[in-house]
This record gives sequence, C-alpha cells and structure tokens, in this order.
Amino acid sequence: MQMSKDRFGPFLLVAILVTGVVGLSDLVRAQALPADVATRIDQLLVAESNHTSQGTPVPVVDDETFLRRVFMDLVGEPPTTEDVIAFSLDGTVDKRSRLVRQLLADASYGRNWARYWRDVIMYRRSDERALLSVRALESYLTDAFNNNTSWDKLTTEFITARGDIRENGKTALIMAQLGRPEETVAEVSRIFLGIQIQCAQCHDHPTDRWTREQFHELVAFFPRVAVRPKRDDGMLNFEVVASDSPIENRSRSTNNRYRGTPEHRMPDLENPEARGEIMKPVFFLTGDEVPVGSLDADRRSQLADWITDSTNPWFARAFVNRIWAELVGEGFYDPVDDLGPGRKCSSPKTLDYLAASFRERGHDIKWLFATILSTDAYQRASRRRRNVEELPFQANCAQPLRADQLYSSLQAVLEIPESNATSGRQRSSRFSPRNSFNAVFGFDPSTRRGDVAGTIPQALMMMNSPRINQYATAENGRMLGRLLREVTDDRQAITELYLRVLSRQPTDKEVNSCLKYRRDLRDRGEAFEDILWALINSAEFLHRK
Amino acid sequence: MLEQQVPQRQVDVSFDRRGRLQRRDFLRTAGAAGLALPGIGWMNQLSGQAQELRKRNQACILLWMQGGPSQFETFSPQPGTSSGGDTKAIATSQPGIQIAEHLPRTAELMEHLCLIRSMQSREGSHPRATHLMQTGFLPTASVKYPTLGAHAAQQLGDPTAELPDFVSIGRRRGSSGGGFLGVEYDPFAISNPEKTPDNTQLTTSQSRYRRRLGLLDELQSGYETSGGEQEVANQRKLYNKSSRMILSKDMVAFDIQQESSQMREAYGDSTFGKGCLLARRLVETGVSFVQVSLGNWDTHQDNFNRSKALCEQLDQPFAQLIRDLEQRGMLDKTLILWMGEFGRTPAINSQGGRGHFPKAFNVALAGGGVQGGQVIGKTTAGGKDVADRRVKVNDLLRTVCHGLKIDADQENMSAAGRPIRVVDEGEVVQEVFG
Repeated sequence: MQMSKDRFGPFLLVAILVTGVVGLSDLVRAQALPADVATRIDQLLVAESNHTSQGTPVPVVDDETFLRRVFMDLVGEPPTTEDVIAFSLDGTVDKRSRLVRQLLADASYGRNWARYWRDVIMYRRSDERALLSVRALESYLTDAFNNNTSWDKLTTEFITARGDIRENGKTALIMAQLGRPEETVAEVSRIFLGIQIQCAQCHDHPTDRWTREQFHELVAFFPRVAVRPKRDDGMLNFEVVASDSPIENRSRSTNNRYRGTPEHRMPDLENPEARGEIMKPVFFLTGDEVPVGSLDADRRSQLADWITDSTNPWFARAFVNRIWAELVGEGFYDPVDDLGPGRKCSSPKTLDYLAASFRERGHDIKWLFATILSTDAYQRASRRRRNVEELPFQANCAQPLRADQLYSSLQAVLEIPESNATSGRQRSSRFSPRNSFNAVFGFDPSTRRGDVAGTIPQALMMMNSPRINQYATAENGRMLGRLLREVTDDRQAITELYLRVLSRQPTDKEVNSCLKYRRDLRDRGEAFEDILWALINSAEFLHRK
Repeated sequence: MLEQQVPQRQVDVSFDRRGRLQRRDFLRTAGAAGLALPGIGWMNQLSGQAQELRKRNQACILLWMQGGPSQFETFSPQPGTSSGGDTKAIATSQPGIQIAEHLPRTAELMEHLCLIRSMQSREGSHPRATHLMQTGFLPTASVKYPTLGAHAAQQLGDPTAELPDFVSIGRRRGSSGGGFLGVEYDPFAISNPEKTPDNTQLTTSQSRYRRRLGLLDELQSGYETSGGEQEVANQRKLYNKSSRMILSKDMVAFDIQQESSQMREAYGDSTFGKGCLLARRLVETGVSFVQVSLGNWDTHQDNFNRSKALCEQLDQPFAQLIRDLEQRGMLDKTLILWMGEFGRTPAINSQGGRGHFPKAFNVALAGGGVQGGQVIGKTTAGGKDVADRRVKVNDLLRTVCHGLKIDADQENMSAAGRPIRVVDEGEVVQEVFG
C-alpha cells in the first residue's frame, strides 16, 4: 500500500486534474482497492480545498485512539484491554487495514449498523405503533449488513416490501409512516436520495426547484399500499398490503390507512372538497414514468430501479455522504438528509469520485467502510468542530456516542450482563435496561452531530443511576472488586482502569492526579470507585474521539 | 469577509435565546460575504429583551386529559337530550352556567373558569390529535415540532434558575417535547409525583459527590488540551447545570411531603391530585410550564361509570389548585389550561360508551389574566356540531400564548432550515380575557 502511494501518486494527481470528470470512470475502474481509492480521496481533498495554502491539516491519529475509534465506528463496542495492548505491540505496517477487515467480519458490525438505520427510520415515525416492527427491522438489517447485501438491494427491499410487520423487517419504513403514501415517499426520498421533497407537498418548494406536481407524482407510486391491523393470538399486529382493486377509497380520513386506492389524487387547493386530479407516477429526478393503471408491484419495483440506477447520482451520493459524515464527523453536505441541487457541497469532486467508485463496486457497503477508514481524512486526530469559514476535513471530530454504543460500552467496562429477560415474549424487550437507556440517550442520527447536546436526564443517569452505580462498586462480585484484588499496586491499577474505560494509557499527569486522590483517602475501594466514576462520566468516555 | 471580528461563542449564545438560530443558518439567511455583522449593540438589545421577558414570569399548568374527555360528562352536560345519557347537570357559583354533576367542587369555583364549548378540529386519531393540541401542527416525518411547553421554556425560562423550565408529571406518550428546538427543551419527566425524580438522589454522601466532581474536573483537563476542548466545555456546562439542580435547595420543591397534612389532604389522595400539588410547588419555585396528565378518558365502553371515576379524581385537586393559587396571589400569573385531544360522540354505543369526537368539544381555562365565570361558544342542541363562535386549535393556542405573553409569531429554524412559527395562523379569542 505504501509503495503504490509513492509510485503512482503524483501521476494520478495530474491525471485527475487533467482528465476531469469524463475520464474519471476509467480511473475509477482501475483503482477499486480501498487503499488506492483512499489515497485518491486524500489527494482530491487537498486539491479541492487548497489545504496546503491555508495551513496544514492535523496529523494522523495515534494507534490507541485509532483502535477505539474504529471499534466504536464499526462494531459499536470498545476494545478490550487485551485488544489495546496487542494492537500497540503489533509492529506490522498494514495493521490498521487488517483491523478494519477483522471488524467488518465481526457479527457486531451488522448489529451496530442495524441499530443506526433503525434509528434513522424510527425517529421519524409518524405513529407509535410503528415500534412494533423494530425487532424484525433490527434482525433483518443485522443479517443484511453482515452478509454485505448491497445498498441498492436493501433500498429495493424497503421500497417494494409487503407482509407481516413483526416478521418482515423490510416493511419497517412503510410501517413507520403507517402506510400513508405522502409520508412514505417523503421518507423514501429523504433516506435514499437525501432530498427533502416533502416541502413541496403544499406549494412549490421554497428553496429547491421541485414543484408540487412533482411531489404528488412521486406519491402516485404508492397509493395502492395500505397497512392493515391483524390480531395474532390477542397481540396487536399489522401487515403491509397492496391491492390492485379498481375500487377507489373515498374515505377522507388521513388517520389510518387500512385501504389503498388505485390512483393518487393531488388535492385541489382552491377546492378542498373536490376529489383532486389523478396523478401519473413520475420519478422527479429523471422524468421516468409508469402509466396510470399500473399494478402496485410494477410501480414500486420501477421506482426502486430508477432510484438505484447508476445514472442517478443522488443515490450513491446520499449514502456515501451519510457514512462519511458519521465517520469523519462532518458530511460533504450537512445535514446528511438534505442534499439536492440547491445545497452547498464542500469538496463536490471528492464526493462525486467516491460516489462513482461506490457505484462501480455495486454499492458494496463493506468496501465503502474499508475505503473511508483508509483515508487520512478519517484517520486524523479530532479537533473541535470547525467554524463555517474554516476549511472542512482538516481534522476528524469527536462524535457523541449513540445510545446503543454508550450502553454497550458501559456493559463491557462494568461487566453488566445483557439481560434477556423472558426473551420469549415480545413485550418485555420494550422495557429492557437497554431500551430504557436508549430512551434517555437516544437521538435521531440524521441530526447534525454538532447540534446534539447533552441533557440533564443523561447527566443524572450517568452520575446517579442506581443500576450503573451497583456495577461500579468495589464489591467482590464486581469488575472493580476483582481488579483491585488482582492488582495490588495502585499505579498499575490506575493504568488498568484507563485501559479498560478509555482504551488508552493514562498520561503521567493523570496517574499522579489519581495517586494523589487515592492517598488522600484511607479506603482504597472508595478511592477507586471515585476514579472509575470520574472516568465513565468524562467527556472522553461519552464520545468517539 | 466579516467586517467585525465577533467571537463565535458569543454569536451562538445570543442567538440561542431567540430561537436557536444557528451560526450556519444565520449566515445563510443573511446573504453572501460582505455583510456587516451586527455590532455588539444589537446583541445587547437581544439579551435585554430576554431580560424583559424573564421578569414577567408567567407560568402555565397544563392539565392534560389523555384519551379525550367526554364534554357531556365534564363541562358541557346535555341532560334531557338523547346525547346526555345519564349525566345530570348542576348549578355552579356562576348563575346561568351548569356543568356535569360529577364536578361539584369545581362548580363552586366557576367564577375563575372560562369554558370554551365550541372547540373544533378534524383529527380523531389519538396520536395525531394529541400532537395537534400540543404543538399546533399535524405530525409529519420531516419536522419535529416543539410542544407549547418547549416554547414556554424557551421564551419564559430563566437561565439562572436551578430547576428545569419545563416539567411533565404522569405518564407521557409520544415523542419528546423539545422538537427541533433541541433536547434542552424536552420536559423533565416525572412519572410518580410521590417520589423524587429519577436519578436525582445521590448515590453517595454530598461531600463525596462534590469530591468526585472535583476529581472529574481535574481528570478532564488531559482530553481538554488534546483536541477535546469543545466536548469538555459542553460537558462541564451540563454537569454544572445538573449538579446545581440536584444540590439546589429548590430541589425540595419536588418533595410534596414538605406540605402540611391539611394541604396534602386538600389536594386529595389520587396520583393526579399529588401531581397538581407538585405542579403548584414547581410553579412557585419558578418553573415556567408544568404538565400534569390524567387518563384514560378514552371511554369507548362503560363511559358513564368510567367518566364518573375520572371526574372524582379530577374534581377535588382541580378546585384546590385554583383556590391554592388564588390564596397565594399566584393565580394572575399562572394560566391553567384543561384539555384533552378531542371530546366524545353525542351518540352512545351499545356498550354504553362514546367514540372520538373532535367536531365539537370543550376546554377550560383559568388564571393568567383569563376572565372567569363565562362560557364562550355553544353547540347545537345535543352537541352534534358547533353552533356559535367556533374555536380552532390554533385559535386556542394563540390565546394561551397571549395569556403567557409568549410571542406566537416568533420564528424558529427547523432542522432543515425552514423558519417555523410558534403558532401558524389562528386568532386570539379575545373574549377569554374579558
């Protein structure tokens, strides 16, 4: 990898600048290896943002920080003390990319990212009953990501889904909006294209170029879809159904969507009592259409095809941008679900290059991760979030941990068992400790990360939760108790705690502060409980650096 | 380029009070480079305005009747009609106004209450109607609208106060209240008014807790100087705010046991009653908005018995709350809003129940400048429709904003950069204030 950088670097940089976008796809095909594409990305960023003329970007991060960062980003869990030591002792040149490959093959990778997308979909639910589909959604996505199902296939599955919402996780996106077509297509557009077209629902989009007609033409792909309740042994359940019956659903109610209707009618603003004009299903980005009267299966599968087609640049861009933002702390477009031609993009050539590469690779998600994680842009140390007039991607940014990641970290650090309380019954998981934790710490992952602020209930939970406290004592059955018994030297015990909680060695200053604190107290157990408390309440623990 | 060097932090802070106008959005709406950033003078004016609002110190207690309370069994009985069912009407302290027989103590305080009998909406589904009543908007995937409480916290809240500005008591359904204003405007939620809120009880002695905070502070300096200055600064702010709260002597406001046994008895035995007492204590300490929930009013079956039971829980504390606030001289500055997501059908089904009915329902207001002893609007005989003076949801919310001296037209930025008013359209129902 190092070799190819030196040999081809300058040549390719010139080639890019000379050939421009037209020659890009040839280059793209030739450079499919993550490391090579990563190199290109870094070069493009330099060229596009004139980094060198505006001060040097921050250096690549040290091993310890890289280890914890990549663990959190890929598998959503911290590395063990053994992992930390092994990685720092590993002298091989390609250890970072090997680590990435290892983690991508870990089952926790699928689970971590399933949870991310679960939140992306569910935080925008317009009905609480959508929560009934969460388990199936997580299970479906965990498998899909672990099997490295391509993003275009996943997208198609979400758009064309039907079936029992508790069994078929693919129905979750439709269920999140209770099958209402306006809401559903708005989410399809937001999530898969990064385009917020729903602003055009009532009037021409104020800042983008979409018209009201275009929004309703998009809705016309979904009018035959409905979400019907069904009772399963007394348990409330739903199914996503589609009917090609020609009978119109004249019900004015927008509350439930138990029945679909053959065609979508755009409401008449002048005359709300009128039925409204029948809309032809047209995909607003390309003008592709299916005829009025088409079957539901044809409508939705066509829409999925057009959305995922390689000639539609927004599809790959939206995904690449989102993953980049999650990993590098900031997107090319911010927020990640508001792209669209009217928005400002920092480093558009870089984004387009990476999106094209992703597309050429058949929307291979693990490949995308491997690539981004190989870039210098990702590997730089974190600095505070930039001001608007400063250059982007000079450094990575500390990301607040998502609720699941934080909970998994606490579990690992304090050795809290994952309680599988009566796992047979569906209901119990709603009130599991992990879900209660999520209720306090969860946030919509599409939010600009810089806007996610800590809350009082979060602080109170970390400081005073009886449950966390119970596991953080120096009693015999607890992690700390065992540690203090096994490690009698205070300095060593402090180091162990830092390795365990923050996945790094403490600095001399930190060791001294802790030693002083310990010596001021008579009770060893009490002193170390306080040190452990301080570490899990630190900003560093609560973030991915 | 910027003409004046304004430290970024200051820009953030001063815009925060005015509806969270982010740096990015500010620059976007203000146009391209070459704009003159406002001088320090304007920013002082902004914070000056915030000072003004804080001094006024209005507060709101929202009594949220979850499930849709029957108007016939509460404030708008219709005895003798086919809609009335079993429920009789009783006289109140206000001649000419009658309410349902199950609210006798409330009836005695009618001179403080303003009833609106002509509420009308088109939403008959619980989640949509609840969202509409609480935020003034219908739910949509693209925008997370803030509830009225969040707006109150943002516009009326006192940043120097040690307790949260927005508290919610009782079981809450649905998503957070802060919406796009941010999580700091979510309500501080209390499920059980009889015990102190979750995680406010220290797990160690106070001195040990303070010691721990000191150690935390010291140990953070490492990360702070190696790239984490923003994260550590935010953390410190948050932890300071949280520990100030739980170490505050104002925390005692959460403890209703501090009240005399007579006072506690006056509010009655129910959880709702205790919640009302807690609400009074919180407002007294300076909290801007307290929601107390009572449910479940969704009486599709056995409407008459169930409504009676709920009214029995409602009546005593509701009356006592009004009386209590009045005796403490707090009633003028505390607006009480009694409402649910809709009313119930005039028609009674085969199971003795009533369905959802947003077409004509009632709400009640008291305090905060409200002119009591009056009824606004009326329904047709039998309550099947509004006959006079229709009040839509946004009219009601604008009216409440007026009473709380909240600017209903203030625009806040949604996550997608769209300016959204506190209340869209709607008109203040002037008669409410006499």
